[in-house]
Amino acid sequence: MVYTQKSPALLIIGIIMLAIWGLADSGIMAPYIEHLANGKKYKYLGELTTLPLYFGVVATAIGAWQLFGSHREGHWDYYSSSIAGGMFILLIAMLVRWFIAPEVAVVGTSMGKVGDTGKYIHKLLGLNYVVLGIVAGIVIVNVFRVPAWAENGVRLSRLGLKTGVILLGTLYSAAELVNLGGLSIVMIGFFVLGSVGMVLWMGSRRKIPNSMAGVLSAGMGVCGVSATVASAPVVQAKSVEIAYTIGTILLWGVGCMFVFPIIGNLLGMSHVQFGAWAGTGILNSAQVAGAALAYQPDGIETLKVAEIFNITRVLVLPIIVVWLAIWYVKREGEAAQKVNVGAVIFEKFPLFVLGFILMFALSTTGMFAPANHYKGKYFGNTAETGFKEEKLLKAEEISLLQAEAVKVERVDRKQALQRLVENGKIMSIEDDTAIRGLINAKVVSKDANKILKKAHKAVRHTAKKIKKFRQWITWLFAFGLVGLGMQITVGSMRQAGGQPAVIGGIVGFTKAALSLVVVMMLVSDKI
Amino acid sequence: MMTVNKVLLASHGTEGAMAAEQMAFKMCGRGTHLHHLIVVPGFWKGTTGDDWLTNGSTRDTFRRYLEAELGREVDENFVRVGTTAVERELDYTNDMVVGEPDECLLDSSRQQDYDLIILGSPRPKGKSGLRSRMITDALTHKLTTPLLIVPYPDG
Repeated sequence: MVYTQKSPALLIIGIIMLAIWGLADSGIMAPYIEHLANGKKYKYLGELTTLPLYFGVVATAIGAWQLFGSHREGHWDYYSSSIAGGMFILLIAMLVRWFIAPEVAVVGTSMGKVGDTGKYIHKLLGLNYVVLGIVAGIVIVNVFRVPAWAENGVRLSRLGLKTGVILLGTLYSAAELVNLGGLSIVMIGFFVLGSVGMVLWMGSRRKIPNSMAGVLSAGMGVCGVSATVASAPVVQAKSVEIAYTIGTILLWGVGCMFVFPIIGNLLGMSHVQFGAWAGTGILNSAQVAGAALAYQPDGIETLKVAEIFNITRVLVLPIIVVWLAIWYVKREGEAAQKVNVGAVIFEKFPLFVLGFILMFALSTTGMFAPANHYKGKYFGNTAETGFKEEKLLKAEEISLLQAEAVKVERVDRKQALQRLVENGKIMSIEDDTAIRGLINAKVVSKDANKILKKAHKAVRHTAKKIKKFRQWITWLFAFGLVGLGMQITVGSMRQAGGQPAVIGGIVGFTKAALSLVVVMMLVSDKI
Repeated sequence: MMTVNKVLLASHGTEGAMAAEQMAFKMCGRGTHLHHLIVVPGFWKGTTGDDWLTNGSTRDTFRRYLEAELGREVDENFVRVGTTAVERELDYTNDMVVGEPDECLLDSSRQQDYDLIILGSPRPKGKSGLRSRMITDALTHKLTTPLLIVPYPDG
């Protein structure tokens, strides 16, 4: 079978991308961009004048070859058939990020701030390019259907997400990974085991079949659809039980993706707190990433926390599948298939996690940024290490800091502040840590804090490679989530019902509410 | 009761569909051609779409399992209806298609010159089962063959 279709679609996509680039680069689009900027600096001009050119040339060339060339069966034919769908997702992601999301922001701003929240409606609802991209995908698949020429490419979205997680490995410091890993093991361990146990207990109370309880407990407890897919064959779930479970999880997941950022905004949660809550409370792993990026679209701190939780979940998955398999065999006796524990763990192991670990290990060698980097940034207070002389503190700034120094009690912070006053810049990485602590403690006045932040920023530099990784990660997740949206069908969500909807609703709500309480009480603002 | 020579029965083993099967057996005399259609709803194609964390091997295992499970359910229905049809000396054929139920029924109804199409009525509220309706406005507007909708057993 020849998969590559002789369709003009890819060629048209390429021409559209080139037209976007042409309009932006020539300045014809300038008034519209000014409108989208809404009085601020338009953030995406750099991307807008480069990416559509590169991808437009590739899409146009391959599109012309696909339309006019001849194609034969083989591996290359299959890979070639996925390009049109991949470019289709990319085009949607571009349109949403550069035009639709800024337009929504313009409209949201024009409507004024919402009540006492101090936030505009689009910020409160998290209507940024990530959420709108997923919504665009959901609308396309459910209203228009994914065109036949794009079907193979839409599956590429998984590759985008997994590659994004692997690259994310470059952005963690060892201390961060240890702290976040420890927190996620405790949270995931408690809530995964708790919700799996709660579903099994409720299932036996409500007398649902063991196969249904098994598949539902994995889906509700571990990582949503992925866990359902992994556990259904092991507990011999019936087709209707699978449909009920996946429908319930998708409905909950999509709902949570919109509701979690609103609650997070209303409660003023920190990035760490929100990442931990989303990573624990949202059932489906794709929606965890979506909610994290919805909460913080222009940074990836929340995503970093949430993905550690996702990775912990997926590492727990083989263990839960083995547990369910043994539980099912005990319950069903002869009717159940025997379990090969080693084979289950080997087959279910998520290989992409090894890629994440590898990238983290490479990062710690200083391959991408100087070895002492923290959150992708490194310390440098000399011209050779990136410090600019104009960033030295001015005399009036130094005077203000001197006047406020009496408010500082902690010795390390007092000494660091003294050295900053004497030199006009932060002198060591230890001093920088102390000054950052002083900023977070809010001991000095707002104006003094501003000066401290300025001094901190002056000695923190983002390595070029890390900057690039951040951009790629953002795009890979945007691409992946638009594609995932294109795979969420209303037909699947409509299957939510029966006992799984009741049990799933109770367990899902309990997990979300309890994890929120735990996060607010026990998780600090910083890791 | 009208005489029928070629009947299209859409049934997939639910209570409503089984009532339709019984009606079809009542209406079909010896030698009548009874074509049994089972539609596997198209939503199954997208059911695993949101899964991205698992690896290819896990996904393939699930797909094979789900296909086998759906195939087993279809075969059970074919055997059940087919056995009774043979006992009644009907000319029984069957077919399984994947897609939107109403579109599949329309396609199937156009493939032969049927005298009658027999369906079960939609499941009453509160009864569990998949949400995938065959009786839609599009179906009733486009169908050119007489349609018999059999009431739900206890409805």
